[in-house]
Amino acid sequence: MPSPMIEIDKVCKSFGEFQVLRDLTFTVAPGEKLALIGPSGSGKTTILRILMTLETINAGHIKVDGDHLWHKPANGNLVPADEAHLHLMRAKIGMVFQLFNLFPHMTVLRNVMLAPMLTKRTGRKDAQSRAMDLLDMVGMADKATSMPAQLSGCQKQRVAIARALALSPKIMLFDEVTSALDPELVEEVLNVMRKLAAETDMTMLLVTHEMGFAHDFADRVLFFDGGKIVEEGKPDEIFRHPKQERTQAFLRKIIAAGHRV
Amino acid sequence: MGQWTGYIGLILDGALVTIQLTLMGSILALAMAFVAGLARLSRFVAARVLATAYIEFFRGTSIFVQLFWAYFVLPFFGIALSPLQAGILALGLNVGAYGAEVVRGAVQSVGREQYEACIALNLNRWQSMYRVILPQALLVMLPTFGNNAIELLKATAVVSLISLSDMTFQAQVVRAQTGNTLVPFATILILYFAMASAISYGVRGLERRMARGLDGVRT
Ligand SMILES: Nc1ncnc2c1ncn2[C@@H]1O[C@H](COP(=O)(O)OP(=O)(O)O)[C@@H](O)[C@H]1O
Ligand SMILES: [Mg+2]
Repeated sequence: MPSPMIEIDKVCKSFGEFQVLRDLTFTVAPGEKLALIGPSGSGKTTILRILMTLETINAGHIKVDGDHLWHKPANGNLVPADEAHLHLMRAKIGMVFQLFNLFPHMTVLRNVMLAPMLTKRTGRKDAQSRAMDLLDMVGMADKATSMPAQLSGCQKQRVAIARALALSPKIMLFDEVTSALDPELVEEVLNVMRKLAAETDMTMLLVTHEMGFAHDFADRVLFFDGGKIVEEGKPDEIFRHPKQERTQAFLRKIIAAGHRV
Repeated sequence: MGQWTGYIGLILDGALVTIQLTLMGSILALAMAFVAGLARLSRFVAARVLATAYIEFFRGTSIFVQLFWAYFVLPFFGIALSPLQAGILALGLNVGAYGAEVVRGAVQSVGREQYEACIALNLNRWQSMYRVILPQALLVMLPTFGNNAIELLKATAVVSLISLSDMTFQAQVVRAQTGNTLVPFATILILYFAMASAISYGVRGLERRMARGLDGVRT
């Protein structure tokens, strides 16, 4: 078995008095597509944000691609990571947000080109041709010169995916990337993600309420509640034969709310 | 009527001084606004303390006193300024202190999600600020900067107190020499208004150009 791409070891996270994650431990294999599901408030977003270094952790350790994320080794000890170390680690990880977070003052093309030019010193021409390839892959090449405000939510999200891919991360984090979209257009974004999963060997973590998609897309599903993993397994096990009472209750509620499983 | 041409000429000379003060003062104010405004948001305590002290001091004391210090008191410390230099310094520092709060507010008005997108794209602090945050904040600042520039224009009249022959000073000269108040002061009223309108117009044009295609922030 290859060494894991992500190792989360007894991680705790609190906001003030409120403990969101308690001794959370799990690993993700290279190339694995992992779906995180669970009721709202169970800490799924927080996990992705910690991996993207948008939130710190209070205890525990995280390793990404063999290196500590929030710590770095110094004289045989682990010390808190500094900006330079975080910079190295962030290069391995990309994130797509629920609300796209595109840069509104730049064209679609500039949104995608910016980070490679600034962080990898990619030349303008190379950055541009790579950006166009990516926009083509997400079906947005014809909107390259548009401003984000001129796009629909679904188009914005496809640009956001291209933008995150432009840095060629080893890991992609998707946080409910379709939940702010028009239900009829959700498929367009999901198709892009299916293509991505089929054509690349990126490790992907996906937080979603689209249970049908999670079922087809994921190699493994983690069901969260109250900051802990309640149940994990292959999609068929979790969706067709959930063992835990809380998983069953959650899935019943999701189906009642009109989501297809 | 012939005599008035000469007097109007005097006032127009003054208008040039007023324009010069406004331009140079605004440039200094703009520089101070960005330096102090960004310093207030700095990670470093010393920078924040210095910036806060500057802002509070210049907002909390009158422009008269600041001008008199620049012109009459600084020479005791070995810094002798010409009236024009003293005027630019006092106006620039004073309006810059107000501008600093505008810069700070505008930078803070850019949503957290924009900073988070920068981190996710691995931009460093400087790149995030320069490429992503400031261009958006600039659009928020512009209208208030336009107001500040007009305030600065109006405040230039105080330099007549240190005998700099700006537009207001020249109007007083003309009034003393002709005994007529209406003509010189009606003239400078119109000129001040024209200058203020020019500033408004310029800033609005700039705003429109920058806001192109940028819905949601301001159009
Ligand atoms: N910045 C924050 N400050 C305080 N509480 C937070 C913050 N972020 C998240 N939380 C809380 O942490 C809990 C888990 O949030 P989250 O990870 O967003 O859950 P999920 O994505 O599973 O819905 C929620 O109760 C939420 O209110
Ligand atoms: Mg969430």
